[in-house]
Amino acid sequence: MEIKGFIDPTFSAVQAKVPPARRPASLAGKVIGLLDNTKEGADIILQTIGDALVERYGAARAVIRKKEMFSKVAAPEIINEMAGEVQIAVAALGG
Amino acid sequence: MDEFEFFLEKQWSDGFPVVTPTEERVARMLAGTRAEPDQALGDIPPAMGPATVRTVAIHAVMAGCKPEYLPILLGAIPLLLRPELNLNAVQGTMGSAAPLLIVNGPYAKQVGLNGGNGCFGPGFRANASIGRAIRLMLTNLGSGIPGIGSSTVFASPLRYTACLTENMELSPWESLAVARGYAPDANVITCAMVDPPRYGFDDFSTEPGRLLTGIADSMSALNMMNMSVPRCAMVVAMCPTQARICAQAGMGRAAVVERLRELAGRPVRELRRGGTWRTERAEKLNIDFHNEDLFVPAIKHPDDLHLIVAGGLGPITAVLPGWGGGSIAVHGEYEV
Repeated sequence: MEIKGFIDPTFSAVQAKVPPARRPASLAGKVIGLLDNTKEGADIILQTIGDALVERYGAARAVIRKKEMFSKVAAPEIINEMAGEVQIAVAALGG
Repeated sequence: MDEFEFFLEKQWSDGFPVVTPTEERVARMLAGTRAEPDQALGDIPPAMGPATVRTVAIHAVMAGCKPEYLPILLGAIPLLLRPELNLNAVQGTMGSAAPLLIVNGPYAKQVGLNGGNGCFGPGFRANASIGRAIRLMLTNLGSGIPGIGSSTVFASPLRYTACLTENMELSPWESLAVARGYAPDANVITCAMVDPPRYGFDDFSTEPGRLLTGIADSMSALNMMNMSVPRCAMVVAMCPTQARICAQAGMGRAAVVERLRELAGRPVRELRRGGTWRTERAEKLNIDFHNEDLFVPAIKHPDDLHLIVAGGLGPITAVLPGWGGGSIAVHGEYEV
C-alpha cells in the first residue's frame, strides 16, 4: 500500500481483527481455568484467586494448569485440555 | 506535510527520521538480493507481521542501508525467528535485551561492518543501519512498541541498533564462527539477546590471571539474570590488547572461555545478599543451593558464553549480560 507516494511499512493492510471472547454474566456454577505461567509466586496467587472465585462468586471449581515456562506459549495439549474442561479461562501472571 | 514528519507522527520510526520508502527506493534495495520479493521469511511476533524479502527491503531503505547490506538482513530474520531465541518473549519483556548481531566472515568486511574502534557506537553506516533495520521491523511488523507490545521498563541504547563484526585484523584468534566449526570463508551471523555493554577497565594486568579475574567479576554481578537461571547468554567483547595478553601467555580462545567460566561466579552465601537470587529460581538450577559454599558459575552451559575480539587497542573489555527469561543464542550461515 502506498500513501502519499510512500509505502506503509506496517502490515495494517493485512491485519485481521480478532474480537475478544464474550464475557460471562455470572461465574456461578462455572468451572474456571487458571493458567499458571510458572513465574515465581504464580501458584500461590492463583490458588488464592481460585479459592476466592469459588467462595465469593459461586464458581463450581478452579482448574489450575502450568505452562512449561513463562516465556513460552502454552502447549496445545494444555490449551485443548482446558478448552474441554473449563467454561472460563484466565491466563495469569506471577512475578 | 513534510515527509519526515509524516513518518515520525505515525510511530513507524525509532524516533529519528527515516528514509522514506518509495517504490523506486525499494526496487533499488531489492537489487541487493537474488531472492524473490514475495518470498516469506516468517512472521515477527507478537503481532506476527509478515517479513518477506520485500518488507525487509522496505525497512532496509528506512534505516539507511545500502543494497549490499540486504543479504545480512535476509539472513538475520530466520535466525531471529528460531524458537530457542524466543523473540516473542523478548519483545514483550520488562527487561531491556536487544538482539545483538555478530557478523563473521568475508562479507562483513566487504560491506564495511566495523569491529574496531567505536564498534558499539555511532559513525559506522553498516553497523548503524543494519541494526536499525532490525529494530524497525521489530517495531512495525512485530509491534514491539513500549506500552503496546512491549512492557520494557527501560529499553536500552542497543534497541536502536546492535550489529558489529569482530576485529579480525587485530585478533590473535580465529573468529567466533570458526570456533563454532564454520569454515573461515563462511558468512555467519550469531545472534544473542543481551543488555548493553558494561565496560571494565584494567590497565595494569600483564598476564591472564589478573586480567581475567577482573573481567570475570563484571560477569557475575548479583543483579544479572545470568547468575540465577539455568541458561542465559552472555557476550564478552575483549579488546585486542587484552586478547593478546592472553594469547601471548599461550591461551587460545577456548582456554580463555574455559577460564572465564571457572572464575565468573559466586558462592551461594554471596548470591543470597541481593539481586536476582531467590529460592524458587534456585530450585530450577538443579544444584544443592543449601550448601552456602557452593560456587555457582555465571555461565552454566558452555554454549552460553560468546567471546569475541572487538574494539580498538586499549585496556577495556565489554561484558554484555543476557536476557534471563529463556533465550538461547543462535547462529547460522547466510547467503550473499
